Amino acid sequence: MEIAAGGIFGLLGPNGAGKTTTIRLIMGILEPDLGKVVLFGSGHGSRRLSQRIGYLPEERGLYKKMKVLDHLIFLGETKGIGRADARRRAQAWLDRLGVGDWALKKVEDLSKGMQQKVQFAGALLHEPELVILDEPFSGLDPVNAQVMKDIVVAIAAEGRTVLFSTHVMEQAERMCDRIAIIARGETVVSGTLAQVKADFGGRHVALGFTHDKARAERILADRALVARIDDYGASAELQMADGADPGQLLASLVGEGVGLRRFEVVEPSLHAIFIARVGADAATAHAGEAA
Amino acid sequence: MKKILAVIRREFVARVRTRAFVISTILLPVFIVLMAVLPGLMMSGADHTSRVAIVDGSSMDLGRPVSQAMQAEKLGDGPAAGASYRVQVFRAGGDLTSVRDGLIAKTGFSKDRHGDRWDGVLVLTDATLTSGKLAYYGSNVGSLQSMSKLQRLVSNVLAGVRLGKSGVDPALVRRAMTAADMSTTKVSDGKLTGQSGEDSFLIAYFMGFILYISILLYGQQTMTSVIEEKTSRIMEVLTSSLTPFQMLLGKVLGVGSAGLTQMAIWGGSVFLVSSQRAQLAGLFGMSADAVGKFPIPTMAPGLLAVFLIYFALGFLLYGALYAAIGAMCNTIQETQQYASFVTIFILVGFFAVFSLIKDPAGSLGVTMSYIPFFAPFTMPVRWSLTSVPPLQLAASLGLMVVALLACVWLAARIYRTGILMYGKKPSWRELLRWIRA
Repeated sequence: MEIAAGGIFGLLGPNGAGKTTTIRLIMGILEPDLGKVVLFGSGHGSRRLSQRIGYLPEERGLYKKMKVLDHLIFLGETKGIGRADARRRAQAWLDRLGVGDWALKKVEDLSKGMQQKVQFAGALLHEPELVILDEPFSGLDPVNAQVMKDIVVAIAAEGRTVLFSTHVMEQAERMCDRIAIIARGETVVSGTLAQVKADFGGRHVALGFTHDKARAERILADRALVARIDDYGASAELQMADGADPGQLLASLVGEGVGLRRFEVVEPSLHAIFIARVGADAATAHAGEAA
Repeated sequence: MKKILAVIRREFVARVRTRAFVISTILLPVFIVLMAVLPGLMMSGADHTSRVAIVDGSSMDLGRPVSQAMQAEKLGDGPAAGASYRVQVFRAGGDLTSVRDGLIAKTGFSKDRHGDRWDGVLVLTDATLTSGKLAYYGSNVGSLQSMSKLQRLVSNVLAGVRLGKSGVDPALVRRAMTAADMSTTKVSDGKLTGQSGEDSFLIAYFMGFILYISILLYGQQTMTSVIEEKTSRIMEVLTSSLTPFQMLLGKVLGVGSAGLTQMAIWGGSVFLVSSQRAQLAGLFGMSADAVGKFPIPTMAPGLLAVFLIYFALGFLLYGALYAAIGAMCNTIQETQQYASFVTIFILVGFFAVFSLIKDPAGSLGVTMSYIPFFAPFTMPVRWSLTSVPPLQLAASLGLMVVALLACVWLAARIYRTGILMYGKKPSWRELLRWIRA
């Protein structure tokens, strides 16, 4: 797996796929049994390069009794920033994240979401070239997730690299330039988003139903026409069978009198790719491991 | 190095800012002052000027020499010290009982309201000179110290008067009555130690005890703080920018320096109390003598320096040992079985001090001074009792620094692997593998 400089890289995978383990390997918290992690093309471990890397771990942890501002200053210092500079940057970040008023409060007085923002600020304080975020949006309300998302996008726009892990495909699809899907510790798919979609191939159709969906069932079950279907009830995403014509599908559906809100020939969604590549055997693999 | 400093500062500030730290730091000096002042206050009868009325019922004017002797008595050593007694002699004439009872009626009132009243009435008769019988009526008869002092005083006067009556020159009497004053100094290996025998034992005990107590109090804090870090999951962020060695060394030094700061404040207040006894006494309206009774061992500067160095190093060394235990365990309960090993080390070191006092230059003492875990107990005691070759001192100190770093290194190895192992306590074999990894 290679992560090019610049842009946003999404590390996707089902629960237990090894996303966090991959990130911990990159951060030098775990040592690889096999293989090797190379950062910025240098032979040094991440600790030597820690000034250039920002890390938000999945296990959020802060010193509960410390004041928020002091805590951020300390985190900055561990990255090699001077005290005064760290203080200035910490205050700026807290203001930017909308928790500036809490700078002098103790960490334990903050809500979980606010603590997460503080830790987020701690990871970005030293303006790293590479930002590694493990599940950055989990546990945030939509408004705060939006704030974080904007910051991540802004970082990428500055030419810095963001690597984040998630299992929310919609988010990855909207934000990532490149992705890698891993399952059971192995890379299943990787490349630019466009590439991954092109490789997955096939023609895909997004459907939106208004009424009489039941009448469509026979047509959608026709394997000569539809190779695969992901049914959401009021909508569906389907992959056309090889050689099948979307126009023919539309004609049959209209002929049956199915009420359609949407009929669109689309690229395959990341979600569909993920389910297709991982979904089928992920569950059985877990059961096998557990046994 | 800068990063270690950042960790040290954080640990230090985190400890010093707690309420428990502030309260205990303030309470102990208050306690020390109380310890210094209370015994004096309890025996306060002896410590302020007593107004004594002497009823002289004797036929040979016994009241005069007694009152002179009493007025010559001072509360302290200095030239400015106040008189112990204010005395007035009442001649009884023929009516001893009524004079005495009239004075007793004005005795034993609280001083603030009745400045002109008496603290006690001393009754002298002819029998006093012949058989030594005399009576004292007063508010302070409960103070054994002041009573025996008064009795001694009168005995001396009586002895003088009796000798004078036998025709001995009063000046000669005074010289003959000068009391003996013996000072004791311990000699060891033909060398003066500069301390009294009692003192050297007290100092050895005192040094061992202080180290023992402070290690038990603070060493465990290092352990707790390592465990806290593991449970708060903060170390995942920290490991990405700090090496485990930096984290643990910073922690050991940070928690250690918080402890040492508190010790320094306490030590400083003991020093202040003992050096400012006179002023302190004045504050409580007592004589400096009374406060001086509080036993604060005084140390020679050389010994103090050796003690402080060994104290700081020993303190940090045991802190590192506790940190290693913290790295192995996930909860405080788990640490108990390992922590008892450390306690055994401390106890062995502490009790070795007592056999050392008997034979400070023996092979046991020399051997123990080279073992870093015992050296902080044994070396200062040896230093205080005999002359320790500088080379031995340097070697022992060097070994301690090496042991300190080795301990931190070992703890860091365990910590590095133990960090992400939640819930499971490692076996000894696994520990060995972690260290080698």
